[in-house]
Amino acid sequence: MDVREKLKNDKLIFDGAMGTMLQNRGLKIGQLPEALNITSSDVVIDIHKKYIKAGADIITTNTFGANKYKLIDSNYTVKEVIDAAIGNAKKAIGDKDIYIALDIGPIGELLEPMGTLSFQEAYDIFKEQVIVGVENQVDLILIETMTDLYEAKAAVLAVKENSDLPVFCTMSFEEDKRTFTGCNPTSMVMTLQGLNVDALGLNCSLGPKELEPIINDILDISRIPVMVQANAGLPTVVNDETIYNISPNEFASYCAKFVEKGVKVIGGCCGTTDEYIKELVKSLKDVDLGETNPKAFSGICSPTNAVIIQGAKVIGERINPTGKKKFKEALVNGDIEYILKEAISQVDAGAEILDVNVGLPEIDESKMIVRVIKEIQSILDTPLQIDSTDPKVIESGLRVINGKAIVNSVNGEDKTLENILPIVKKYGASVVGLTLDENGIPESAEERFRIAEKIVKKALEYGISKEDIYIDCLTLTAAAQQEGVKETLKAITMVKEKLNVKTILGVSNVSFGLPNRELINKTFLAAAIYTGLDLIIMNPLKKDMMDTIKASKVLWNEDKGAVNYLATYENTKNIESPVSNTPNKDRDLFQIILKGLGEEAKAATKKLLETKEALEIVNEFIVPALDLVGDRYEKGEIFLPQLIRSAETVKASFEIIKESLSNESIDNISKGKIILATVKGDVHDIGKNIVKVLLENYNYEVIDLGKDVSKETILEAAVENNVKLIGLSALMTTTVKSIEEIIKTLKAKDSNFTIMVGGAVLNEDYANMIDADYYGKDANSAVAIAKEVLG
Amino acid sequence: MTNSERKKEALRYLGYKNQELDKITDELIDDAMDEISTIANGRYIYKTFNILRDESSLILEATNFHLIGEDIKNHLNKSEKCILIGASLGHDVDKKIRYYEKISMTKALILDACATVYIEELCDTICQEIEIDLKAVGKSLTSRYSPGYGDLPISVQNHFLSILDAKKQIGLTATSSSILIPRKSVTAIAGIISKDEVKKNSSCSNCNKYNTCMYAKEGYGCGR
Repeated sequence: MDVREKLKNDKLIFDGAMGTMLQNRGLKIGQLPEALNITSSDVVIDIHKKYIKAGADIITTNTFGANKYKLIDSNYTVKEVIDAAIGNAKKAIGDKDIYIALDIGPIGELLEPMGTLSFQEAYDIFKEQVIVGVENQVDLILIETMTDLYEAKAAVLAVKENSDLPVFCTMSFEEDKRTFTGCNPTSMVMTLQGLNVDALGLNCSLGPKELEPIINDILDISRIPVMVQANAGLPTVVNDETIYNISPNEFASYCAKFVEKGVKVIGGCCGTTDEYIKELVKSLKDVDLGETNPKAFSGICSPTNAVIIQGAKVIGERINPTGKKKFKEALVNGDIEYILKEAISQVDAGAEILDVNVGLPEIDESKMIVRVIKEIQSILDTPLQIDSTDPKVIESGLRVINGKAIVNSVNGEDKTLENILPIVKKYGASVVGLTLDENGIPESAEERFRIAEKIVKKALEYGISKEDIYIDCLTLTAAAQQEGVKETLKAITMVKEKLNVKTILGVSNVSFGLPNRELINKTFLAAAIYTGLDLIIMNPLKKDMMDTIKASKVLWNEDKGAVNYLATYENTKNIESPVSNTPNKDRDLFQIILKGLGEEAKAATKKLLETKEALEIVNEFIVPALDLVGDRYEKGEIFLPQLIRSAETVKASFEIIKESLSNESIDNISKGKIILATVKGDVHDIGKNIVKVLLENYNYEVIDLGKDVSKETILEAAVENNVKLIGLSALMTTTVKSIEEIIKTLKAKDSNFTIMVGGAVLNEDYANMIDADYYGKDANSAVAIAKEVLG
Repeated sequence: MTNSERKKEALRYLGYKNQELDKITDELIDDAMDEISTIANGRYIYKTFNILRDESSLILEATNFHLIGEDIKNHLNKSEKCILIGASLGHDVDKKIRYYEKISMTKALILDACATVYIEELCDTICQEIEIDLKAVGKSLTSRYSPGYGDLPISVQNHFLSILDAKKQIGLTATSSSILIPRKSVTAIAGIISKDEVKKNSSCSNCNKYNTCMYAKEGYGCGR
């Protein structure tokens, strides 16, 4: 019987720790346990045999760290180690009926954005392990001790795309119910279940007692089998030795309790030995596997933020170029900062989900959606909705997203359903279904309902659950189709009642062509919420609309006791209007920059623009103020945070100035392009970012390539943008080598490239030695260099 | 450490030399200190090892870890045992600094400095905790010495972490170029010495940042 078959009706018992058993047999601390598969196969075989004798159904290969990264300093290849490990397991089994699980642990290096390993690199590392497992015909693959949901996803995809083997995946949580990287159990379940693993759960980090509350949480919601491999309690150090604090007996009784609750796959982790498994097997003899009754719920998530769709939630719509000139420019220029600011301001205003649409004919949408998703997820934990109808773009986005997303959208056309639903299922996303088809938007609620019915039916056929479907009954404009507005609301009611799925709607179209659009919008919104609308696609920066939602939630008894309403509005009277909108008569822009008053510069700049040309403002106020600030910094009269604050004040002023100028005139003020990058291997980029702010102040156009940048990327960007001055930063002795290589590469290509370097580890001498043209000791000196090189 | 001591430290990391401290900067630092105290999730691990010596290096007993270089040899020359320490403030701090870099470099810079104060304080606290036990047996600790100082190569970082099992125990990892992740983390070695031994201040010349250190240039140390 294969593992999947057995798992349907029965519990499965795993073995206990490998590391603990190896250490008991003389493995030195720091030594590579996986090498013993080759150098001491007898020891490994003996351990497997002990677990088989103890009664385990499944033994785990000694391959936790058998990946390319961890084996790098050993003399072995991944294939050699895994081949040997599986060989040892097979020898231990002989002709007994025992399953072999290929063990895969974390790579040991963190993925982006926390670390530097890319998702694809992680995928490739796992893929290599999986392929050797498949060649050796293991029965299943165990991905365990994961603390990063993103890494777990890379591993699961590597298994799914390179084998048909069952895959179990467990993560390690701390007592605060989060993993080291902040992942919570709900996000884990939503994501891994979506990726169609065969079992999911917990291992390592804590003993069974401490894991119990987390196990309960998971059993509450997981629709797939739950697995637990706890440690033998908590470690204590006695005479420099690590001892775990619970006995085999106690361990076994906890495990029996878990199985009674419905945990289907059970075994041990650190500190457990064959004694523990023996007791475990004994204690399970008379225990019936409990039935779980997981709650059905709709939700999406990032690793650290699970949003359960209960009551109306706001999806921010502003990451979308449609009808927005500045946003389009940002996409074309790759100005990620602009897009991120849209993301941040929407979340600050109350958006709980962000819609991401980067569709523009001039750009590669697939590439851009990947970049934007990664950038947003590196600073915000708001779950995302991928907004595109192109299957290629959707798949690119779903692949790199961390957590569970919504796909916006499919409609009633067979072609879109057939192209997009399989992708939604593969990556475990939710999906929006628009109630339109090749004939357009039907007029009546009944016809829209029929399309919704079709979409739901198709989605279910593809294995997508009802909870993951959101139907959009589509808003019509009151100015053109007044009688149709009601039909939308009627359709929402029908969809909710008869199909029992969630609904989603963009509301602002309703007012198109009418004056005072907000009034129409919020009135329609209130009515839509009354019909039970779940997800509202809107601009959360419209305060009136957000207020309407809060009020509706009180009226329709969702905000119990009006708790949230009171918290928001009780002190309304006391809210003062922010100072930044009112220019202070006593301060001109020069003083504002000197004092670093940030946003106040915007109002002052606006005021100046009434009487002066942009260039006059730059020359009469901004440049003199900047020069003075720079000078004071040089003399030590002010210190770094003050310098940066002045620089950011100038930045605020420039935002206003640039708004008043045509693209052409903006090009005219530009003093030239400069590339900045923190070099390969280095992730310290705060210094480089400070340099960027200052250079931009002086109207240099900075192409910021970010951190951990390869020489190829720098060269490509320099050639493509015809850039003369390139600034490289490194903070580590180890990464200065990277700088040297980049300089060689650049100079070999074109001796006219001018290179300035900076960063804590460098100095004038060192800069000369590696053939850099300039050494910038701080951000201010980078400006001086730019002036010298570019004028 | 009191709040005002922490603030003084943060100012030092920010390059403050008794300039006029304007109200906005002052408040930004106070806010960042409050924020770091809520988002830092300090975790640490330490283990004690006997030091074995051969001609070229020091070896930690029952491990395969060699400490290379003259500087660490000098640092531990009065010690038969040493303690390896790994400590980290966790990923939330990194994420928040990344976040501020997108909206306000000033805030990012200040939060970064405050985080440095916190991780150093955490290390001090760990050493004090260890020293309480050591005091009972007439022992004390040397100052902390980290991979990358002097001629102890930073490339030992990953091996160092595996000796502590730090990845599993506290989620502390390193990139392939040996940068600790989470960023606000420390690995260090401290020797156990007799209480009567005068505690050597680790001299600036042993530090890998000596050539470029702004404090050293000013003629005084960073206080490490």
